[in-house]
Amino acid sequence: MTTGQLATTGPVQDEPVLATVSRLVTEIIGEEYVLALDITLDTSFNADLEVESIEFVALAAKLREHYGERVDFVAFLAGKEVHEIIALHVGDLVTYIEQSLRDA
Amino acid sequence: MSRFLFAVPPLAGHTLPTVALGEELARRGHEVAWAGHGEVCGPLLPDGATIYPAGDADWLAEVRDRSAGLRGAAAFQFLWAEFLIPLAEAMLPAVEAAIGEFAPDVVIADQQALAGAVAAQHRGLPWATSATTSAELADPFALMPKLGDWARGLLTSLQLKAGVSEAVDPRFSPHLIIAYTTEALTGPGLAAGDHVAFVGPSLGSRRNAAEFPYEWLDPSRRLVLVSLGTVSASSGDRFFAAALEALAPLDVQAVLVTDPARFPDVPPHVLVRPFVPQLELIARASAVVSHAGHNTVCEALAHGVPLVVAPIRDDQPIIAGQVADAGAGVRVRYGRVGAGELRSALVAVLGDPSYRTAAERVAASFRSAGGAAAAADRLEKLT
Repeated sequence: MTTGQLATTGPVQDEPVLATVSRLVTEIIGEEYVLALDITLDTSFNADLEVESIEFVALAAKLREHYGERVDFVAFLAGKEVHEIIALHVGDLVTYIEQSLRDA
Repeated sequence: MSRFLFAVPPLAGHTLPTVALGEELARRGHEVAWAGHGEVCGPLLPDGATIYPAGDADWLAEVRDRSAGLRGAAAFQFLWAEFLIPLAEAMLPAVEAAIGEFAPDVVIADQQALAGAVAAQHRGLPWATSATTSAELADPFALMPKLGDWARGLLTSLQLKAGVSEAVDPRFSPHLIIAYTTEALTGPGLAAGDHVAFVGPSLGSRRNAAEFPYEWLDPSRRLVLVSLGTVSASSGDRFFAAALEALAPLDVQAVLVTDPARFPDVPPHVLVRPFVPQLELIARASAVVSHAGHNTVCEALAHGVPLVVAPIRDDQPIIAGQVADAGAGVRVRYGRVGAGELRSALVAVLGDPSYRTAAERVAASFRSAGGAAAAADRLEKLT
């Protein structure tokens, strides 16, 4: 992952799922905040990225725009208990997206 | 003449709106009393106010220490499991006793003083919700329904344990919800209905206003107030350091509300004070930098002063979003904002008149909403 990839906007063909998630999260929380951070599978949405609950709404919209119906992020979040939301990592979302794409 | 009992949590921000409202009710000849924390709430109340003490100071300090640094869903979990529910259980006997002794016609329960609503419900008394912040009306966790389900489960157990036969949601009175804001700030689409009264902020004179060296203020220079509220003032070192660096080259005067011992070496155009007379300073300020606590935001907007908002947790991200959407300020990220971005945000709200225009638009809506007098009108109809 390079910062050049992070700065890319617009759909990217055959982009690895982690790169897509990093790019979309970066668009939401702002490049200036993410540049200091290397988004990996172990990055926590709560502790590291400090993504606010309302920002998940924006992430849901961006994921739908990118993947269409194949990835249902709203259903993914809706099934999460409090402790699972607190412990949510980028890797959890990447795994879910990869699984959804395989099943689609 | 009627009798009104306020139930308030041990939080200054949640107690203050009830002070002006209580004074308004008393002016109209009603009897008013409070159930709340003696040490935290007592000093905020009007001279001679009746307070039924509820709560424990040691527990409060310990909870505050343990909550430091929590954000997002972790803060949400802590707020409910470690603060709101234990607080309700601790306050309940005192509120029940206060009801027995004071015999109110109406209980006015802050949304975080759940014991007030539970006790009123238990006694079959009409009760109103004092919604200090509008965030609960906005459902911030709409995408995470299990968080809301979990909190509602805690509320149901709380009421069953208290002997309430029919559990309700003690955050939302079916009779009257007083929201100290207006739709000019919240935007449309909040949980509403005829029983929700948007009265604007309930501001009044403050008891024990902190001392301030007013002679330090230079009327020819613009004033910036930087405050993270009463809860976060001591944990904001990184943020205040960024603010100091952001302010360094700006031709303004700035007052930072934090412990001066943490920032002993500041330039002459900056003053660090542990407490300030906030309303008086906001009235003179050209911009306020805030954690987006609801009271500070509304006090600034009531004076037409634009904001830079850096929300930390709880309702603050919602309120900060309202400020930004209303055009009355710039939102930055509390945890990571640097001096450069903070300076740009300050330069924007100080220099671009659209922010002040938007803030004045909200101020006008607050004035026409009626404040404490409008809330008192609605409360009188419940008796």
